[in-house]
Amino acid sequence: MASITINHISKIYPGNISVIEDCNLEITDKEFIVLVGPSGCGKSTILRMIAGLEDISSGELYIGDRLVNDVPPKDRNIAMVFQSYALYPHKTVYKNMAFSLEIAKTPKEEIDVRVREAAKVLDIEHLLNRKPKALSGGQRQRVALGRAMVRNPAVFLLDEPLSNLDAKLRASMRTELIKLHKQLGTTFVYVTHDQTEAMTMGDRIVVLNAGLVQQVDTPQKLYDCPNNVFVAGFIGSPQMNFIDATLKKDGGGYVLGINGDSLRIPADKVMDALAQYDGRSVKLGIRPENINDDADYVAAHSDSAISAVVEVSELMGSEVYLYLRYGDNMLTARVAPTTKSKIGDNIKVSLDMNKLHLFDIESGDVILN
Amino acid sequence: MKIGKKTGRGIASILLGIFSLIYVSPLFIILFNSFKSQTNISNEPFKLPSAATWVGAANYRAGINDYGLLSGVGWTLLITIGSVAAILLLCSMFAWFITRVNAIYSKILYVLCVFSMVVPFQMVMYTLSQTADALRLNTPWGIIIVYLGFGAGLAVFMFSGFVKGIPLEIEEAAMIDGCTPVRTFFKVVLPIMQPTYITVGILQTMWIWNDFLLPYLVLDRNKYNTISMLIQYMRGSFGVVHMGAIMASLVLAVIPVVILYLSAQKYIIEGVAAGAVKG
Repeated sequence: MASITINHISKIYPGNISVIEDCNLEITDKEFIVLVGPSGCGKSTILRMIAGLEDISSGELYIGDRLVNDVPPKDRNIAMVFQSYALYPHKTVYKNMAFSLEIAKTPKEEIDVRVREAAKVLDIEHLLNRKPKALSGGQRQRVALGRAMVRNPAVFLLDEPLSNLDAKLRASMRTELIKLHKQLGTTFVYVTHDQTEAMTMGDRIVVLNAGLVQQVDTPQKLYDCPNNVFVAGFIGSPQMNFIDATLKKDGGGYVLGINGDSLRIPADKVMDALAQYDGRSVKLGIRPENINDDADYVAAHSDSAISAVVEVSELMGSEVYLYLRYGDNMLTARVAPTTKSKIGDNIKVSLDMNKLHLFDIESGDVILN
Repeated sequence: MKIGKKTGRGIASILLGIFSLIYVSPLFIILFNSFKSQTNISNEPFKLPSAATWVGAANYRAGINDYGLLSGVGWTLLITIGSVAAILLLCSMFAWFITRVNAIYSKILYVLCVFSMVVPFQMVMYTLSQTADALRLNTPWGIIIVYLGFGAGLAVFMFSGFVKGIPLEIEEAAMIDGCTPVRTFFKVVLPIMQPTYITVGILQTMWIWNDFLLPYLVLDRNKYNTISMLIQYMRGSFGVVHMGAIMASLVLAVIPVVILYLSAQKYIIEGVAAGAVKG
């Protein structure tokens, strides 16, 4: 078991290509932390630096209390599961799992016990004599996990381990991994570009963009209180709607002017920081589920009602996504399947102003959550 | 339509059959001549042996007893095994290194190796034999180093092509599992490269076993003779052309290569294709 401390770490490739800039992160013991971000954001590079597969250009990396910047991967007491599983094709499943223990000169009896134990947990006992080419994607993924498990590592590093699986298997493996983490009680560092995986699996999530850590928080907090426009847009599916609006003081409170409509910010959300944006443009963020087309709701929230045209309607089974044109903006609303709104209708929808987010239009930083 | 296709195939089969016979015929001519008497080989080289011309294993005995064929087989075997082993081991390690180490010098080394394949042997043979003499490489052990140099081009090219196709993650997994680079090579990379080892091994074996010019130029002929060199001497170096012994020696020289090729032709085709695509 071990914590990981990432202290002002940067990664610069030859040609002065900066991939990670001044990254700071505290991963506590037994935590399941997920690094998430778009392709090329540097999440895998951070994982590989923790593994020792990439040199650290500057900064310090601690596993537990030990500075490991110059410690080779084999001495870091970590195990890694790769996206491609990276099983040894010439070895059987048993030999794949036993390999690290054989290298460490572990007695044969103990190797056997540990391999069979891990195989039992992962339900791959019947596959031990097969070679990787005779396994399905899901089975290979389990073997890769088993290979990591037998070592009893202090830290598990997982680099997009589910991305090669089909959607159904991915969903079931997600649950399996969460169970496995609880069972092993080890620190897990998990890299993914899939925000659903991040939200469902992580104790905390690290959102990265262009080599910079955008926010580190619990899934719920990331969803409810994003630090900036990037996090707000990246976390959540369908993604948050953004509309440019003008903030104006009105009596004791504030209103947002958009397309001739005035939307009042609830009194309990008003804060001093809004004063400096009086009369300025801001970015309004509202999640699709906070736009409602129910007639009763719209009647009760007429001060946040707007008119929009339904351009596309997608029935998802338990909900309907309405793609609305509101002036120059496109909005997505997640409404009940009982909705009466049809393509081409000019409808009234109300925004739940208690769930409103405001962002600085230039920096993208949050003003109000 | 169906008949047309079948007919086409039939014609192709007949044509290919004829070509195969043309290619195989020298081997058969050598084989049946090796059982004929000296005069009959010279006078009627294409005639099958009859009761009158049949001499049994006399030509083989002559080759072995009079020309030291067995010692020739021994030296050829030593040179071939030594050279092929050196080429396989050193070139595969070298190819792995220059493929994985992303530096300018590794690219230069690769280009040099590949370039060596296009330099004709005749261009370097004089300087080579002089250098080999000066460096005392004119022994069966020394010539192994010369063969390593000549074999490296093709071997490095083929091994590099294969290594590029091995996912880097497998080697990284081995590093995390506790392997040093040397151990990663021997425990992980080498077993994965097995098909290419077989292909390169067979191609190099056939070339070195059959080679005449290089040992002729490099080896000290008073002490060491390979099969090809001996056959050349039988051809006239002793004043007499002993055709019977030549035929018997040729048969003995060809048999190991033919067996090797037939038993492993699958790997040759696979390996050459893999190198071509991935390289």
